[in-house]
Amino acid sequence: MRHTQTAVLERGEDFSSDFATEPYEVAWAGEARFFVQRLEDTAGDVELRTQISPDGITWVDAENTPAVRLDGTMVTWPVREFGGWLRVSGTVSGLARLRIYLVCKG
Amino acid sequence: MSTSQTSATDLRRALLDADPRLSRFNPLPRILAHDDFQTGTHGWTELIGNFDGNGNLRTVDDHMRDFRPPQLSSCTFFDTGTHGALSGTYALKLATRPIAGHTAVGIRRLTMAGKGLVQLETYFTYKSEATLGQDPANNSFGGVEWDGNLHPSEAQFGALTVATDVCGDGGTRYHTVARYRNTTLDNALDRRWVYPAVPEPTPREHVQGKASLAYLADFTAPDPDDWKPFSDPMELCYNEVPTKVNWHYLRWLIDTDARKNVELQINDRVIDMRDVPVPVYEEKYESLETLLNFYFSVRTHSNVRNFLFLDSVLISVDW
Repeated sequence: MRHTQTAVLERGEDFSSDFATEPYEVAWAGEARFFVQRLEDTAGDVELRTQISPDGITWVDAENTPAVRLDGTMVTWPVREFGGWLRVSGTVSGLARLRIYLVCKG
Repeated sequence: MSTSQTSATDLRRALLDADPRLSRFNPLPRILAHDDFQTGTHGWTELIGNFDGNGNLRTVDDHMRDFRPPQLSSCTFFDTGTHGALSGTYALKLATRPIAGHTAVGIRRLTMAGKGLVQLETYFTYKSEATLGQDPANNSFGGVEWDGNLHPSEAQFGALTVATDVCGDGGTRYHTVARYRNTTLDNALDRRWVYPAVPEPTPREHVQGKASLAYLADFTAPDPDDWKPFSDPMELCYNEVPTKVNWHYLRWLIDTDARKNVELQINDRVIDMRDVPVPVYEEKYESLETLLNFYFSVRTHSNVRNFLFLDSVLISVDW
C-alpha cells in the first residue's frame, strides 16, 4: 500500500504581504499536490509559486510548475520532480486568510 | 524467580536480540507500538488545541494553533547531503519556526487497557538549523565562540521535551514530563533535565476566562519559574556543528497505577525520577477516560529553527 501524508502548512493565517511557507521535507514522496483555500471572504489578490530546495535553506522556483492565482475559494495544482523539499511562495495585495495543504504520496 | 520464569525471560530476550529492529530496545513484556519511521509516521501527528462546533480554527487557543506538521526526514544537510537515519533513510522530524519561543509538537494517541508500568524508548537527535551567510557575528552565540570545534549552533537549540497526557479513575488527569533544557531563555547553555511543577493550561480555562496565553507561550508550563531541575548538567553529543547526526538512546519509565514518574535513561545515565512530582488537575475530566497520550516537543529559544529527529519509538507496558 502506498504511503500518504497530508500536512497543513498554514491553518488560516492572515496574509497581507509576500510570504513563504515553512520548509517541508518530501524526499520520500513520488507525487505531491497543493491545495490553497481562501477563508471567510477575504478579498486580497493572491499569486502562488511552487519553490524547491536542495537543503531546506536556499530556494528556487520549480521550473516545471507555473505560478497560479487564487481566483475563487480554492486553487490546487500538482507538483512533480521536486527533490527533497517543497514550499509555497505567495505574493499578496490586500488581505487574504489562507489555509494551505500539501498532500504527498510515495 | 523460578527456573521456568528465568527460562522464559531468557528466551524472550533472545528473541528480541535476534531481531535487529528490536534488539536495540529493552521493552517491558507487552509492546504496544514499535514506530520505525522508515515506514511512515505511525500515528505521530501534529498537536492542536480544540476548536468550536463550526470547525472554526480561530477559536483554537493562540498558543496551541501552530505546532507544525511532523515530517519524514532524510536528515539531509547543505554540506554533506543525505545523512539518513539510524536504520534506513527516514526519521520523524519536528521543526519549529525560526522565531524565539516557537514550539513544534508531535503527539501519539492511545488508551490504557490496564494500569501499571509504561515505558517509552526512542533513538533521537537534536539540531539547530545551519546558518548560511557572510556575517562574522554568526561565529558567536550564547557565549559559544566558533573555535574550529565548538559551534555557536549548539547554543541556538532551546529544549526538547518528552511527555504524557494520562487520564483515568473517573477523570483524574495528569501529565508526566521530562524536558532537556539545553539553554535558558537567554541562550546560556543549561543542559539540565527539568519538570513542570504545575499542570498544563487547558482550552476550557481559556473559554472560562481563567487563562489566555500568547502565541509563543510555553504550552506545557508558561511560567519559566515553574520548571524545576531534576538532574545536574548533562552534556549530550550535539557533535559540534548543526549537520552531524548522532543518535541518542532514551528510555523513560512511568507508573500509571501510582501516577508517578519512575526513571529516565539517556545513553549510559539513569536518573531516578520517583521523587519528581506529577501535578494532577484539581477538576475531573470528561471524555478522556483511559487516555494515554505521548508527545515530543522541541522549543527554540533563538530566531533559528530547532529540529528534533526520532529514528524510531517503542512503547511497552507490563499489563
